[in-house]
Amino acid sequence: MYSSTVRTTVLSFCLLLAFQFAFAESTFPDFPVTSARKCSVSAENKGVTVGLTPVEDSQRQVTYFRAQLGKKGFVPVFLVIENGTGTDTLLFDKTKITYGTANSSIPAVQIGPGAAKLVTVDLIPLIGSLVAAQIAAPASIVRQNLMKKEIQSTTLAPGASASGFLFIPIDKNSPRAKITLRVPIGKAGTSETFDLNLMF
Amino acid sequence: MRRASRHYLAFTYSLLACAVAHIPAFAQASPATSTKLSVGAVVVLTPDFCATKLGMAEVGKAVCPELEAALKTVFDKLTSVPEVPKTAEARLVLIPTFANTGATQGRWAFSDRDLDIYLQWTAKDQSGKTLWIQTVEGSATHHMGNVFTYRKNIKLIVSDAAKDVAAKSAIKISTAEQIRALSR
Repeated sequence: MYSSTVRTTVLSFCLLLAFQFAFAESTFPDFPVTSARKCSVSAENKGVTVGLTPVEDSQRQVTYFRAQLGKKGFVPVFLVIENGTGTDTLLFDKTKITYGTANSSIPAVQIGPGAAKLVTVDLIPLIGSLVAAQIAAPASIVRQNLMKKEIQSTTLAPGASASGFLFIPIDKNSPRAKITLRVPIGKAGTSETFDLNLMF
Repeated sequence: MRRASRHYLAFTYSLLACAVAHIPAFAQASPATSTKLSVGAVVVLTPDFCATKLGMAEVGKAVCPELEAALKTVFDKLTSVPEVPKTAEARLVLIPTFANTGATQGRWAFSDRDLDIYLQWTAKDQSGKTLWIQTVEGSATHHMGNVFTYRKNIKLIVSDAAKDVAAKSAIKISTAEQIRALSR
């Protein structure tokens, strides 16, 4: 009698643990990382390749974020940055990323210290924390997952790559207009910067 | 019967082993280098940064002293300043900013709550050129706590996450090639 109770308790405990791990592992799957060139849209400049894949399908959004981000006025975009220069260490600062609708005036490639003068006012900076706050309720695991999946600022050694999501605001009440994303890349220890512009 | 019990025992042990493997290791690590970098470094801890709050959690207040303490183990000379120095006072200027912070909410007093702190580091040289950028994530998990322990538990989780992000920052900074090159 006693042995049977112990056995049932242990079995229940084991099943509970097994379910917990199975559920925990499948809660928020990672988005498959591909090379920048295999993304939906890509751009290359000075040996740096940036690729992006927008995740617009609401079912896929639920799979990766457990939320329909389109309905909240955001399109998640998976970004891949590859340093193929072979010699240069590059700086990716996500706070410098800007976006705008396709008709935003974007100047050609900017190089050198005078580049800042060319920046247009049509592009809006992306601010990660505010985006996460607008998409999901505070203190939720959905918001925690959005933060974990977001691309982070980093230094890219030759041959290194970085990837993650950006959440770009869109008008949820009308068909999505073409968006231009500007990704500035800096060269470490210099004032040299250049942009990669992607339209999707 | 005994054989069956042994099987249950083995199964339970294996599950417990898995459970232990799944618990995130709390960062107690010290910087990978045993010797300090011989660079005069300045860390910019602005009043706004040190006053950053996440709801009731005084994240900035907990992070600032931890960062200063952790970086003192990396550099042989470290000065903390409230704003970015205008003159070339130091060979290396380190600027932390909060990239993101977030906490989950448990339903019960014994439910776990996670706190994540994302710090973005920018390292500049004497001339103001950026040498290195890195985002460091620190985290901690604690029980929510009941009516009596709720506030104490918030302090605990913030303190642990601050220690974690400071320790991880020290490791990242001390192993960054661009920063190490300055001490050669």
